[in-house]
Amino acid sequence: MPLAALTILLPLASFAILAVFWPIRHTGRPAAWLSTLTAVASFVIALLVLRDVAPMGAPPELWTMPWLVHGGRVIAEVGFRVDAVSASMLVVVTCVAACVQVYSLGYMSHEPKPALGRYYAWHSLFIVAMAGLVLAPNLLQLVAGWELVGLCSYLLIGFYWAKPSAGKAAVKAVWVTRFADIGLMCGLVLLYVETGGFAWEGFSWANPGASELVAALLFLGVMGKSAQVPLHVWLPDAMEGPTPVSALLHAATMVAAGVFLVVRCWPLFEGAETLLVAMSWIGAITALVAAITASVQTDIKKVLAYSTCSQLGYMVAGLGSGEMLGGYFHLTTHAFFKALLFLGAGSVIHAVHSNEMGEMGGLRKKIPLTAALFAIGTFALAGFPGLSGFFSKDLLLEEVAHGGQWGPLAILLFVAGLTPFYMMRVYCLVFLGEPSEKSNHAHESPLVMLAPMALLAIPAAVLGFGAGSFGELLGHEYHFAVTPVGAAATVAGLLGLGLGYAKFGMGQLASLELPGLAAFVRSGPIDNAWRLCWERGLLPVARNVGWFDRYVVDGLVNFSGWITLEAGDRIRRLQTGSAHDYLYAAALGAVLIAVAGVVGGVLA
Amino acid sequence: MNGLPWLSIIVFAPMIAALIMLVIPAQSRGTVRILAVLSTVVSFAGSVHVALSYNTAIGGVQLRETMPLLPSLGISWNLGVDGWGVSLLLLTSLIIFAGVFATWTLEDRDKDFYILLLVLVAGVFGVFVSLDLFLFFLFYEIAVLPMYLLIAIWGSSKGVKEGGPLAFIWKRFDIGGREYAAMKLTLMLLLGSAFILAGMFAMVESSGIGSFDMEELQRVGVPRDVQMWVFPALWLGFGTLAGVFPFHTWSPDGHASAPTAVSMLHAGVLMKLGAFGVMRVGMVLCPEATEVWAPVVGAVAVINIVYGALGAASQTDLKYIAAYSSVSHMGVVMLGAATLSVDGWNGAVYQMFAHGLMTGLIFALVGIVYGRAHNREIFQMGGFAKAMPGVAVFFTLAGLSSLGMPAFAGFIAEFLVFLGAWSSGHVVWAVAGIVGAWITAVYVLRAARAIFWGEGPPERYSHLSDAKGVEWVALVLLGGSLILFGSWPRFLLDYIDVGTAQHLLSIGGGQ
Repeated sequence: MPLAALTILLPLASFAILAVFWPIRHTGRPAAWLSTLTAVASFVIALLVLRDVAPMGAPPELWTMPWLVHGGRVIAEVGFRVDAVSASMLVVVTCVAACVQVYSLGYMSHEPKPALGRYYAWHSLFIVAMAGLVLAPNLLQLVAGWELVGLCSYLLIGFYWAKPSAGKAAVKAVWVTRFADIGLMCGLVLLYVETGGFAWEGFSWANPGASELVAALLFLGVMGKSAQVPLHVWLPDAMEGPTPVSALLHAATMVAAGVFLVVRCWPLFEGAETLLVAMSWIGAITALVAAITASVQTDIKKVLAYSTCSQLGYMVAGLGSGEMLGGYFHLTTHAFFKALLFLGAGSVIHAVHSNEMGEMGGLRKKIPLTAALFAIGTFALAGFPGLSGFFSKDLLLEEVAHGGQWGPLAILLFVAGLTPFYMMRVYCLVFLGEPSEKSNHAHESPLVMLAPMALLAIPAAVLGFGAGSFGELLGHEYHFAVTPVGAAATVAGLLGLGLGYAKFGMGQLASLELPGLAAFVRSGPIDNAWRLCWERGLLPVARNVGWFDRYVVDGLVNFSGWITLEAGDRIRRLQTGSAHDYLYAAALGAVLIAVAGVVGGVLA
Repeated sequence: MNGLPWLSIIVFAPMIAALIMLVIPAQSRGTVRILAVLSTVVSFAGSVHVALSYNTAIGGVQLRETMPLLPSLGISWNLGVDGWGVSLLLLTSLIIFAGVFATWTLEDRDKDFYILLLVLVAGVFGVFVSLDLFLFFLFYEIAVLPMYLLIAIWGSSKGVKEGGPLAFIWKRFDIGGREYAAMKLTLMLLLGSAFILAGMFAMVESSGIGSFDMEELQRVGVPRDVQMWVFPALWLGFGTLAGVFPFHTWSPDGHASAPTAVSMLHAGVLMKLGAFGVMRVGMVLCPEATEVWAPVVGAVAVINIVYGALGAASQTDLKYIAAYSSVSHMGVVMLGAATLSVDGWNGAVYQMFAHGLMTGLIFALVGIVYGRAHNREIFQMGGFAKAMPGVAVFFTLAGLSSLGMPAFAGFIAEFLVFLGAWSSGHVVWAVAGIVGAWITAVYVLRAARAIFWGEGPPERYSHLSDAKGVEWVALVLLGGSLILFGSWPRFLLDYIDVGTAQHLLSIGGGQ
């Protein structure tokens, strides 16, 4: 069994202990420490795994055992596949997970003990599921992990289950993502039917057209999980979960699972030309729509959620170029700086007890360390030259340009300007300007929350310089060079930052009311469309089926009973009990028989 | 093979306990329960023993017990298990064991209740081990008939609003009442039995073997023209019990009216008798007709899946949701059967097992919730997780298995069925099944949220409490099994697979 297996088994042990032995779970902090220690251990192991992993192209380290066996053959195996893709993703996942769990020791410290234990049990389960997904040797295990991280998402969004909005958000997340998973499941089954297994490489297609169909079906699942328009509607609602959860699941790792699936199954996607073009457009439109929506939000977490959505669109568009390095590298850098931003937002919320940016302002002086760390995240996301986001965006845009997809490229360049604009807006509204009433009582977060943020800030800042070795690991040559596309993106980015500062540097929230548009965007048109599908679509259909079943199908069953009883009632009347009636009947019968005999005789 | 006739012991243990109960006074509640537990423990241990002694490397029918009963009519006490039988014996003994604990707190005529319950389960065990068609039918009827009394005496009523094009029916029937539900269920199932009986006699007569030996019947074969009408008769006859559309309407009213343990057994095991009958008797003994009729069976199964799921989504009554959910999930079993493939048949039997556990757990939980809240309308509940966290957890577990979450038994079953459907060329069936699983997610999560999530329960629910004492036995046993058989399918699939291998041989179209 490879060393990487421990990144699943340790959290699994933690989860099993916390799930089964409820007295331990109910101790609160010890339970939290147990989970956190296993998460940190997983991170250390993941680093060791990455150190030793061979670059892409070398045979992967495989360890499997038969899992689904029937009809005399092994249908599917479970196990671990360690190669450049899985090892690098594993480090990202366990790093963010470990940081978030440590951070939660501070952020969640006011929760009741059993609730805290429950929180950490699910966090452990999340690492199990996510690492199982990442290390999957075949698509079936990947999908199993995929569904289980979805389960963790449901449980963690609904962590404050007594709050009605949290319950709605949790259920909505599953409804939407599983709706998309109809495609994923069809793709999985079709893959098996066509190739006799669940591998994504190492076989030849009997039916070449099927390859693209499989990829397209899988991509439907990706659209749900990675929140592509119009299936993104669950992600902003998912912010009902505790903020560290948003950082881990709904920014850095789980929502990126969709992008990861494309990277992992790259041999399936690589040649699917039409699909790739569609991916570029879907990704670019997502990036644009979400960025516009982010620009008009007043809730700090909602801005970051739409931003995540927008950046996921970036990644998908990047993959649509036909090269996977840029999208995947952007996934990596995004995981760090977006987790940092969310943890920073959590620290702010912790300080002012509100999500509304209108109630913040002037926090730079009150919580300077948070402000500094948040700034690193902001500038990394903005693509400020030298920071990680700059390099990954540059690489990604370069690939899109190279793929010749000019439409998506233009949109992405515009978004490259819009992103710094709305992030600057957040930074200004929260940290600059005059302190609000709530800001005056703010206190800096404890070390246990700041330290993980600082740790995440390191890769968020400098990971870009590792782009070369990242490319090497994945078997792609990459050297940074100044190109027209990169220059355009940088200019757009700086312009966005400047505009944002010019507009919001003084902390005026109300000044962005582009009349009409902002109100329209904020009303959530896509959300409303989906709500109509439920209220005017599925629910009435279901009700009609229910009515039909009760009053027509079952009505006929009852009718058969009714007619039996009615017939019985009528025929019963013949049984009058009067001897006269019976004699008349007998006489009539005799006559009838005689007539029948005569007629019969004549006819014969 | 050792000396003890384990299969007979499994069948007779509940029967004997029921007989002893007849002669002990009704006041001795403790003794009644101890007897019930003891007999189910014996059956449970027997089933485990059978599973362990069954050799999957050899396969076929094992642990035979034969004794002539009525040689002149060709009827004999002919028992034995194949891979399917082993799996379903395990399921039945798990469910009845849990069911005895789930009704522990019953006070009204509890002795009579346990007697009927045990007689019923003896019938179920009998069906799964019978190799003689007459015995098969006899046990089938023993399993079906006690249901009438169990629902009519211990059930609950809830009126259904008059309406629809046939509203005049309400004048004659108390629709939604427990007597009505019991009567409808019994009459519909008995009509099905009439079809089965006719088909059975036709098969035995036309083959000319002069006995009811199923293996002999399979060897000799039923003439093709007879098969052609016998198979649909058996499909509708057994299918009524399996909830095949449009003969499923006994199920929502029946399950809604039935008391906890009865719903558990009925949805958990009895509906499987129907599906088992269709496959084991209908398909295996009428292979040629099966190939002709399979598209019809599959198409109806798809209706079951989607129609049942939509029906569940339309309901706001907890028991009706669970009942329609069963109609939908039994559609998955029938869909798997209709594919006539290894994947599909294994999936079908796996689904019988997985759905049995899941629905048994659901009805146990529904019983607990209803027993405390005295309400079944989910939108009049809310925040129950505060008072009953354990119930909320297990409800979620059952729901997850129901919507096909990996690591739960339901996933393995549904996935195999979808694989079988698609690879046998029925893409539409597979996609419809997958869509059905999504609708399941919609109504399951909606119900879970309405009942358990949200702000604290309304004032009148201040007395709610979590599961207590022995009730946990049922929950932990069933919930744990869902995860066990979902994480490591080979525990069960190895048995089911040899059963499928044996039975699918008879059908030429199989892989």
